[in-house]
Amino acid sequence: MLYLGIDVGSVSTDLVLLDNDLQVVEKLYLRTRGNPIRAVQEGLRTLKERYRDEDVAACGTTGSGRQIASVLVGADAVKNEITAHAVAALELDRDVRTIIEIGGQDSKIILLRNGVVSDFAMNTVCAAGTGSFLDRQAERMGIPIEEFGDYALKAGMPVRIAGRCAVFAESDMIHKQQMGYNPADIIMGLCEALVRNYLNNVGKGKDIRPKVFFQGGVAANKGMKLAFERALGFEVIVPEHHKMMGAIGAAILAKDAVSRTGSTRFRGFALAEHRFESRGFECEGCANRCEVARIHENGREIGCFGDRCGKWSSRIASYPAKAGNM
Amino acid sequence: MKITIPHMGNVYLAAKALFDGLGVDYVIPPMNSKAALEIGSLHSPEEICLPFKIMVGNYIQAIEQGADTVIITGSCGPCRFGEYCEMQMKLLRRLGYQVDFIVIDAPKCIGLKELMARIARVAAASPRSRAQKWRALAQAVRIMNLLDAIEAKAHEKAGYEKVRGTCKRLLHACRQETFRCKTPREMLRCLHEYSRRLDQVPCDNSAKPIRIAIIGEIYTVIEPFSNLYIEDKLMDYGISTKRMMTPSWWMGNTIMSPLKINSPGIRMASRDYLPYYIGGHARECVGEAVLSWKEGFDGAIQIFPMGCMPEIVSKAILPAIARDKDFPVLSLVVDEMTGEAGYVTRIEAFIDMLERRRSHAVSRH
Repeated sequence: MLYLGIDVGSVSTDLVLLDNDLQVVEKLYLRTRGNPIRAVQEGLRTLKERYRDEDVAACGTTGSGRQIASVLVGADAVKNEITAHAVAALELDRDVRTIIEIGGQDSKIILLRNGVVSDFAMNTVCAAGTGSFLDRQAERMGIPIEEFGDYALKAGMPVRIAGRCAVFAESDMIHKQQMGYNPADIIMGLCEALVRNYLNNVGKGKDIRPKVFFQGGVAANKGMKLAFERALGFEVIVPEHHKMMGAIGAAILAKDAVSRTGSTRFRGFALAEHRFESRGFECEGCANRCEVARIHENGREIGCFGDRCGKWSSRIASYPAKAGNM
Repeated sequence: MKITIPHMGNVYLAAKALFDGLGVDYVIPPMNSKAALEIGSLHSPEEICLPFKIMVGNYIQAIEQGADTVIITGSCGPCRFGEYCEMQMKLLRRLGYQVDFIVIDAPKCIGLKELMARIARVAAASPRSRAQKWRALAQAVRIMNLLDAIEAKAHEKAGYEKVRGTCKRLLHACRQETFRCKTPREMLRCLHEYSRRLDQVPCDNSAKPIRIAIIGEIYTVIEPFSNLYIEDKLMDYGISTKRMMTPSWWMGNTIMSPLKINSPGIRMASRDYLPYYIGGHARECVGEAVLSWKEGFDGAIQIFPMGCMPEIVSKAILPAIARDKDFPVLSLVVDEMTGEAGYVTRIEAFIDMLERRRSHAVSRH
């Protein structure tokens, strides 16, 4: 029996299959590219070649696109990222006390005490220091993002970069480049600035205790890991599947959900070949003018999102209930 | 003279009652919406706080319907709200609108004589007798108090109701029906009726719902549009909520504050963390966090507009309370850019966390 977890994030869409012992047997890391439906379909198509529908005993979704993905695949559990990340980390190690998670467009800190989330925070209004910013800087410097971390490790003396704001950080980096500092020192300086920004912002007032897990796409950056270790003064653990922790958590939550309900709602890999269309329109029912998105599958409407009053989203009874499935 | 007021929660209903009772001409601006916010953002300074922008939207929409006089409360306070009336007057004048502002401010700021003179301007527009005017005012105050009580009851009972959504539906119907009433007396009758119907909502008294206190900046906690209808969302989730900040609390607090006997509970509760009034309602926010912990709430959600100076101070203090009392507090910042997806994720994750804390019995329940 396999458990499918899907994490639809702003930058990447991750799919994992877990076996009965909750070990990862398959993982896919795809770029969302602004089209969550296509990304999920692409993932399912790859999986379809190796697995049958009957293999999947449960399916869960998480990430900012969790609602749309759940309608698409028929999810047993639809959970927010915080819970999913915490569940996955705790499955790996019961003693983890802090999770630092930096994704494409958000960063969060999760504090765990006695195996349960006791506090968390997410970046409020600023996305400086998240994955997409690092992506952009790597691109600007002409260094593949995968090697960005290795560069940082070569730094002799990291330069000080103003990390408060992404725009200022970038101009400061350009300034330092033009003064002739070497790229390694600048990249490590950037990592340290982002860590400082994270700890002063998201981590403000939070009691960060070991063991610390560093998850999310940015954890692949060795420079960031080193900068966190220097700032915190103890080891920061990057789990093997750090990019996939959200999806792993969703799969575990789905397994739990199915053990209660008895059967999965997973709709099968054939979905990969279905024709999905998302059409948006502005509802003119009231002054709020909600932007409503309608998802059509082979021409039939299967879901509606974005309306405040429920006029559209409540029309189809089989929609994933927002409250009950939280 | 055609009077209008900016929106803030249910205040428009009490204002309507007052103006109906006084027999003066008035315009209630269209309910807050993206349209109002867009108009407001277009004309307001980029970095001013969210309430300012929504209010400007309200004025312009009301002016389009013929309003020529705006009544607002002032504060002369050490937060940007104190600048609102002056800046808004200038802003509207520059846009070419001919409107008068009547700013109702505390006597200690403008003097009792000036306050009376300003109130007299409104009163002069009324054809009614002096006694009738006093009665209209008394009725409006009663309506405000009743509305706040009904809202509080619905928010609390949402966690206990047997049929999910009953309280929310009643609350919405109550607002709509009250607005349709022609006279203050009719309004009072309507409100009493809804209060009674809320009492009769079938409840499961053995339920142990998650209970959350809503704290933070006064406008953004009271005005549902500005906080993306957080109380409605929490009602949908079957959460019992409480909010101390209401227009009626504000009235009482403002009347009592010159004597320094306002909100003794908040003063006591905030003593260890913020023993001063630093402007806005920062001290209230801190005090309410402590009070809601004492009352056995599972957590608190702090809401404030981007750039709100007093609430930034309380946001920095809240983690200390959270740590000392093992009481989770979630801070949400709202402005015209707030994305609903991220907002909902945070709320869902917070509720999820409160539920799991409880089932692991680390909560104090």
